[in-house]
Amino acid sequence: MSNVIHASHLTLSYGSGDKEIIKDASFTIKKGEFVFITGPSGSGKSTLLKSLYGQLQATEGSLVVGGHDLATIRKGKLQELRAHMGIIFQDYKLINEWTVAKNVVLPLMIAGYSTEIQDTQARRLLKHVKLSEHADKYPLELSGGEQQRVGVARALAKNPVVILADEPTGNLDDYSSNVIWDLMENACQQLETTVLVVTHKIPTIFSLPYRHFIIESKGVYEVH
Amino acid sequence: MKFIKNHLMFILPLMAILLGIEFFLVFERTTDTYEKGLKDGYSMFVVTKEPMELSAFQALNEHISGTKLIKRENIVAEVTKGVSQSTSEEILAALPYFYNLGLDSYLHTSELEKIKKDLLSNENVKKVETFGNSHNSNYKLFSFIKFTLKIFIMFMAVVSLFLIIKQMEIWKYAHKERMQVMEIFGAPLMLRSGVLFKVALMDAIVATILVSALFLYIKFYWATQSGIDIMVQNQEVLFKISDIGLLLASAFLIVIFAVYSVVFSSKGVQE
Repeated sequence: MSNVIHASHLTLSYGSGDKEIIKDASFTIKKGEFVFITGPSGSGKSTLLKSLYGQLQATEGSLVVGGHDLATIRKGKLQELRAHMGIIFQDYKLINEWTVAKNVVLPLMIAGYSTEIQDTQARRLLKHVKLSEHADKYPLELSGGEQQRVGVARALAKNPVVILADEPTGNLDDYSSNVIWDLMENACQQLETTVLVVTHKIPTIFSLPYRHFIIESKGVYEVH
Repeated sequence: MKFIKNHLMFILPLMAILLGIEFFLVFERTTDTYEKGLKDGYSMFVVTKEPMELSAFQALNEHISGTKLIKRENIVAEVTKGVSQSTSEEILAALPYFYNLGLDSYLHTSELEKIKKDLLSNENVKKVETFGNSHNSNYKLFSFIKFTLKIFIMFMAVVSLFLIIKQMEIWKYAHKERMQVMEIFGAPLMLRSGVLFKVALMDAIVATILVSALFLYIKFYWATQSGIDIMVQNQEVLFKISDIGLLLASAFLIVIFAVYSVVFSSKGVQE
């Protein structure tokens, strides 16, 4: 299996490099793997995720995602790379002035798909996340769990190579959390999508084999 | 109501800038006409021993654009009524040559003095009269009005720019989240700023139409009704169709500047 993410002696910092969050981390994640990253609050889980979609640059070491070194990637290439990623946020990051259906097809819109394809895909994805009847509503009319399902549907819209999820079930009840885990397991299993989830707690019921990394004292360690 | 308010908050300062631009254009055109009138109406009076060609005057000073020889016969006829023919001819022969000199532009008194000096440097020139005092007061009044209006227009533009910057902050607040989400999902700049561009371009078009309509009203209705001479005389230059293009281009430039400022300051993911 090919490498989707490869970090080598990765150091991540804020400010002018004086506040190190992650130090000298090395790991590799392959295509189709399901990965959990856990760690205490403020340990740098979200920071690591941000660096994976190019929002934060490495201070030292290298980070290669989808074959592109994020330290040297051009802006246009980074946009292209992001278009192959599905990103899920704890606070959903939906566009509140857009309908649920329009939010879901954002990645297709960016890729330039026709309105017909966008409409078809919106219907299919919303059915998949059990939100068909909410297509024309606005995000703020939905519950937190429903908004997160919209976020997951958006992440899955373009069959991404990798899904990066930041505390996707952090604010949700058990039912919504289980739906979200099912959707990500299915994507990993059926589409061979690499899924990387930053979370406080690994779900107790989880059917897929997975890898587990823990962030502690600025280091990233794999738990066997 | 909120929709209208949001648009007006950009349209009004934009209109103020466009009004400033159009006022400037109209003022430049009308004052050009006025300046031309002053220039054409002004001439220097020169007395020479021998006849002189225009090129000879121009060799002395480049601002001289035309000469008009005053017929000596008419002067002699006035002063020799009842005098014999031979005496008249003697007076005519003894008389110097009189010229009215035209200038190429409306000049400051110091320039007129320089021309006078240049002309007197030629031995053939006996006397030069510049009518400096009346010219100087006209020139000073004219320059003062021009300066005051330009300052006022600039002041209006600066205040409007501040209002536009304020509006840009509101735009940033309203559009930041959407643009950031789109950026995360790999949307190119044009797609991210598309909505903002549409809104701002629409406002730019509305502002241009309103300013053009105002000046068209002034040109075709108010100017004739006002009875103000300068308005009636310069009705043709009050507003030109080509001004619409200039106003629209200026509005678009301001919009592009404003939208890109918002887009570039909204980069990065909000925590």
